[in-house]
Amino acid sequence: MAVAIVVTFLATRALPGDPIQVMLSDHSADLQLAARLRAEYGLNRPLVVQFRSYVVGLMRGDFGLSFRYVNTPVTQVLRESLLISPLLAFSAISLALPIGVFAGVQAAIRRNSAADAGIMLILIAGLSIPNFALATFLVYLLSVRLELLPVAGWGTFRDAVLPVAVLAIPSAAYVARLTRTFMLEVLDRDFVRTARAKGMRPRIVVYRHALLNALVPLSTSAGIIFGGLLSNTVVVETLFNIPGLGRLAIDSIFARDYPVAMAVVLLFTAFYALINLAVDVICAGIDPRIRANLAAS
Amino acid sequence: MQRRSVLGLFGSLIATGVVPAGAASSRVFRINVVADPAQMDPITLSEITAGRILKNMYEGFTDVQPDGSVKRMLAESWETFPDRQAFRFHLHQGVKFHSGRPFTAKDVKYTLEAILAPDSKAGLAAPYLDTIVGAADVKSGKTKTLAGVTVVDDATIDITFTKLDVLFPIYPIYYMDSGTVAEQGPDWMSKVSAGTGPFVYKSWTRGVSVDLGANPAYWGGAPKIAGLSFLIVPNGDTALSQYDVGELDFVDVYPETFRRVLANKRYASQLIKVPRAQVSYLGMNQNLYTPFKDKRVRQALSLVIDRPAMIKGLYGGAAFPANGFVTAGVPGYQAGLPPLKYDPALAKALMKQAGYPNGKGLPQIDVTTTATFKDEAAYFADQFQRQLGMPTKPKIVERATHIKAMNAGQVALFPWGWTADYPDAMTFLGEMWYGSSPYNRSRWESADFDRIIDQARSTVNDEQRYALYHRAEDILLADWGGIPLPTTAVLGLRKPYVKNATLTPFGFSSFQDVTLG
Repeated sequence: MAVAIVVTFLATRALPGDPIQVMLSDHSADLQLAARLRAEYGLNRPLVVQFRSYVVGLMRGDFGLSFRYVNTPVTQVLRESLLISPLLAFSAISLALPIGVFAGVQAAIRRNSAADAGIMLILIAGLSIPNFALATFLVYLLSVRLELLPVAGWGTFRDAVLPVAVLAIPSAAYVARLTRTFMLEVLDRDFVRTARAKGMRPRIVVYRHALLNALVPLSTSAGIIFGGLLSNTVVVETLFNIPGLGRLAIDSIFARDYPVAMAVVLLFTAFYALINLAVDVICAGIDPRIRANLAAS
Repeated sequence: MQRRSVLGLFGSLIATGVVPAGAASSRVFRINVVADPAQMDPITLSEITAGRILKNMYEGFTDVQPDGSVKRMLAESWETFPDRQAFRFHLHQGVKFHSGRPFTAKDVKYTLEAILAPDSKAGLAAPYLDTIVGAADVKSGKTKTLAGVTVVDDATIDITFTKLDVLFPIYPIYYMDSGTVAEQGPDWMSKVSAGTGPFVYKSWTRGVSVDLGANPAYWGGAPKIAGLSFLIVPNGDTALSQYDVGELDFVDVYPETFRRVLANKRYASQLIKVPRAQVSYLGMNQNLYTPFKDKRVRQALSLVIDRPAMIKGLYGGAAFPANGFVTAGVPGYQAGLPPLKYDPALAKALMKQAGYPNGKGLPQIDVTTTATFKDEAAYFADQFQRQLGMPTKPKIVERATHIKAMNAGQVALFPWGWTADYPDAMTFLGEMWYGSSPYNRSRWESADFDRIIDQARSTVNDEQRYALYHRAEDILLADWGGIPLPTTAVLGLRKPYVKNATLTPFGFSSFQDVTLG
C-alpha cells in the first residue's frame, strides 16, 4: 500500500498537462486567475511538502478536495461509486465461477471428444470477443431490437443483467479453460487411477477427489481474475452509464483530477490485496496440506 | 405473440410516448449530458456541462435566442450617462427567487461581490468584472464591498467601470439569491437552487442523473412539464440506443457518432443541425516562419484547402462553410462574405511569385495540434506538401502543453479554434486577433484592426458596433491574418412529440416552454 501511495502520487505529478490548465481550459492565459487557483489548491508548494500533507491527510481519512468538482471532498465523489464496481465484479464472478468450472470439468472428462471441441470453441470465442463488442451486440439485440432490457442505467435489477453478463462471459470462459487444464492434470494422477480401480463412482471421483485438488490452483487464479474484472468494469460502466469506480478512475485521470485518481488507485490496490488474502484463506480451508504447513511453521 | 413480448411492446410504447403515461404535466423531459457537472452554483461555474444544467435554474440580464438575437431577461432596459463610465440597469419587476424572496438590486450586488471574493474559486464570470471600479480591492480581500456597484433602489442598479464595458449587459453572469447562503449554509447547492429560472434543483445522483423540478412561480409562466432530467451518458452510442428505445427524449449527439447519425435516414426528420459557436482557423505565426511574412504565401495555403471536401470527407457532412472569423448565429456575424476558393493552380503561381517555386527554399515546418484534430493536421500537411512542395508534417502534442505554447506565441502553424464565451463577435475578434490580446496566438497585428476594435469597445449601440466588426473582419481577411476553416456542427435528435426545445450554436435552448406530447 505504501508503495502504491508513493507511485501514484509521483505518476500523477509526472503526467504532462497541469490540473490548473485543465480547470481554466482555453482561458489559461489569465495568469492571475491561474496563480490564485494554484495557491488555493496548494499546487505551488514543493512536491515533498505536497506529499507530506497528502499522507498526513490519508492518516485522518481525508483524501483532500477534488480538483474537478469544486469544493467537493474526494470522499464525497467516491462515496456513491464505492460499492458499485466490486458489486459488479462480485456478481460477475459468482456467475462465472460455477458456470466456468462446470464447463471446464465437462470438457476435461470428455477430453478430445466432439463435446470437448464444442465447448472449447465457445470458450475461445468468449475469450476473444472484446468486451465492448460483446456489450454493443447484446445491447442491440436485447435492448434495442427486442426491448427486453434497458439500454443503460443503474438502479434496478434489470439494469444489472447486461453489464454483469458482459463481465461474466469472458471470465467464465477463462475459468473454464483453467479448470479444464488443471483437471486434465489431476485426472492423470495416480490417486485418481487408484480411486477408479477401487470401483468408486465416476462422479465422486471427478467432483470430490479430482476437482477439489484442481481447486487450489484455480482459487489462486480466481484472485487474478477478480483483479482483471475490476479493470474490465471500466468499459462496462462507460457503456451502460453505471457510476462506478472504474469509470471514475478514467475520467479523473483525463481531467487531471489527481486527488480522485489517487484515491481510486489506492482503493483498487486495497481491494486487490483483500481478495488475495481471502483467496489464501480459502486455499488453506480447502487443502489440509497448506493448513498443516502453516501450523508447522 | 408471446405474452412477454406483448407486455414488452406495450411497455416500450409507453416509453416512446405513443401511449401517454399520464397527463402531460407530469412528464419529465430527459436529455443527456456527457459527464457530471463540475459545479452546481453560478459563482464557481466554469464548464460547459454545468452551464447547460445551471442555465435552467439561473438567469442573467439577457439571454441569446436560437436565432442569435439577444433577449432581455432580468434587466428590462439599461442606459448610459454622458458624464460617467457607467450603466444604469432597470431590473425586471415581479421576479421571485426559488426561495420565494423577490429578486432585487441587492442580489445583483451580492452576486458580483461573491464572484470577486478571494477564496470563492470563482469561475468564468470573474474576468467580466475586472473593469468594475473597486474590483481589485475586493479581489485582494481589502474589502467585501464592491465600490463601483450602487443600489439606487430595489429595481435600479448602477454599475460604474474604470472604462465602460459596452458588452456587460450580455455577459453570461447568473444572479443568485443573497439570502441563501445564510439560510442554507456553505453547501447550499447540494440542497436547493438559488436562482430565478423556470426550474429548481431537486436531486443529483452522481454518475446517474441531475434532476430538476418545475418552478410553478416562474415569472415567465410556469413550465408545462414536471421537470428536467439530465442523464449522465458518457458514451455516444449508448445515448443513441437510449434515444431509440425511448429512454431519452432529446439527444445531444456526441462527435464520435456524427457520421452514424447523418448517414441514418431514420433520423433525418428528427435531426437538428446548427453551426457551433466555435470558430476554426489555421494560425500562422509570422515571427517563427519567415515565408509567412509574405501575404501571398498565407493566401496560397488557403487556396489548397478544399473546404467542401473537408466538410464531406473529414466531417461526414457535420460542418458548415465558414468564410470569415465570426460564426453564424453569433451577433456581429457577417453574412454574404465571398466563399473561400480552392485553386491549387493559383496557389502555385502565388508561391512562385513570392520566390518559392514548387516549395524550393521553404524551411521545414510542422502542422502542430492535439490528438482531437489529428485528421485536419494530416490533411493540411499532405496538401501543403503535395501541392506546394512545403516540407511539412503533422505534429501531435498534449493539450495543456499545446495551449501553453500557443499562448506564448511559440507555435508556427496550428489549426485551432475558439468557442464563443458570450453572444457577440467581440469574443472572437477582440480575443484572438487584437494585437495585445493574450489569446492572439498567431501574434498577427494590424494597427487599423486594433483601432476599430478599440472603437467597437466603446460603441454601445448594437447595430453600429456590428458594422465596426464587419470592417475589422474585412481587414483581417484581406491581410490573411489567419485562414478560416469550416465550422463544425452541433447535432441533436429530437422526438416528434417534443416541442419548443432545440439546439443553438451556444448549446441547448431555453426549456421553459417545452411540451411533451
